[in-house]
Amino acid sequence: MNKIQVEICVGTPCHLMGAEELLDLVKNLPDKYENEFEFKSSHCIEDKCEMAPVVKIDGEIYGEQNPEKLRDLLDKYLKENL
Amino acid sequence: MKLVVEEFYKSIAKDGEEVCGDNVEVIKQDDTTIIVLSDGLGSGIKANILSTLTSKIAIGLLNKNLPLEEIIATIIETLPICEVREIAYATLAVLKIDNKGKVQLIEMDTPSAFLLKNNKVKSIKTTEIKIRGKRIKKAEFEMDRSDMIFMASDGVLHAGIGGLLDFGLGWEGVADHLEKVAKKKKELKYIINKMVGICQGYYFTEPGDDFTILGVKYRRTREVTVLSGPPQKKEDDPEVIKELMNSSGKKVINGGTTAQIAARELDEELETSFEYHDRDIPPVSYLKGIDLVTEGLLTLNKVLEFLDDYKQGQLLPEKKDGASQLIRLLLKSDQINFLVGRAMNESHQSLNLPLELGIRSQIVDRIANYLKKLNKKVSIEWY
Repeated sequence: MNKIQVEICVGTPCHLMGAEELLDLVKNLPDKYENEFEFKSSHCIEDKCEMAPVVKIDGEIYGEQNPEKLRDLLDKYLKENL
Repeated sequence: MKLVVEEFYKSIAKDGEEVCGDNVEVIKQDDTTIIVLSDGLGSGIKANILSTLTSKIAIGLLNKNLPLEEIIATIIETLPICEVREIAYATLAVLKIDNKGKVQLIEMDTPSAFLLKNNKVKSIKTTEIKIRGKRIKKAEFEMDRSDMIFMASDGVLHAGIGGLLDFGLGWEGVADHLEKVAKKKKELKYIINKMVGICQGYYFTEPGDDFTILGVKYRRTREVTVLSGPPQKKEDDPEVIKELMNSSGKKVINGGTTAQIAARELDEELETSFEYHDRDIPPVSYLKGIDLVTEGLLTLNKVLEFLDDYKQGQLLPEKKDGASQLIRLLLKSDQINFLVGRAMNESHQSLNLPLELGIRSQIVDRIANYLKKLNKKVSIEWY
């Protein structure tokens, strides 16, 4: 089964706007997320810096993320994928 | 292949003293390294001031490229003589080495230098000259790529007096130990540290005199090229990446957008790490053919912040974050080439960064100036 690709930007603007907290979140997720998602970091996601921090899930771009928002998004994808 | 002179030394204070009465000064000119070792009469602060005074005057004059004899004459005339003992207040050894093997040595009241050649320590053949009535030993010779030269203050030759040996190690004793230690590893830091340990041993870790041991050898020039920021004109992208890839030595890319340009031009995948080794510095990335890929401005600012307070010889940061890795690469290199792109980064405009944090060219300029002060050759090309 193909995992859902999740890309988290850690470029300068995203870092300054809290990308590190997003990495902390995905590193500490329960195993069921690991089974469904493949997490990657990136230096820049399609120049969407004005929306920092930016995350790309399954080709969709989501801006102004924080750990709560990202967790909700992942849960949404998880539900849809089941 | 280009060679540079590398030196390493350690000074240990006499037991019970807070400062060492020996002093070493080093200057690097274009292709010449000049080293001065001075041992002040007595010990403690007084000796320290005397040796510092002597070596500072000597190195200042040497830096002006005056003839060695003239410099020695000036020093002899300038520095006072101890009234009680009628000897000079401080000794002086001057070693001048260029990158092509030419060595000049001058010794005044100091133990003879040691030449390590083919695993054997030899004394250096000197001629005696008289300057202002003072006997000075002088030598001019060629040094091979694999040779090493060591200089020591008399505290090294006396190691053991009051401890394990009645008359101390002596020149031959020091030479023996140098041979044995250097056989194990041809690395200056290792040899000097071992020799310090040996002296401490003979002194029962309570040195009866200040002592300094210093080593010099050749090594290959270390070079690093740092590409920072995207070029102002997009059509220059291929050229600047080519310039980076064709450079000899280590290759660094500083900046996420720049790294993406390189990945595109090289047709390689850019992989970004998940690890934050320092909370302030975004993770590094990996790109085939590049030794280090870091984030841009925050990393550069961190490097600048470190160099602001850095003193030569100070320990380098050991952490794995991008800034620490870049600091290590810069400070271990002799030649540093910056390729700096001047494109305005649109993404940063939205952040309203403080002005001094945001201007790449100024940060690189300041880093380059610090590196030049550390005797490194630095070039900057703007794109």
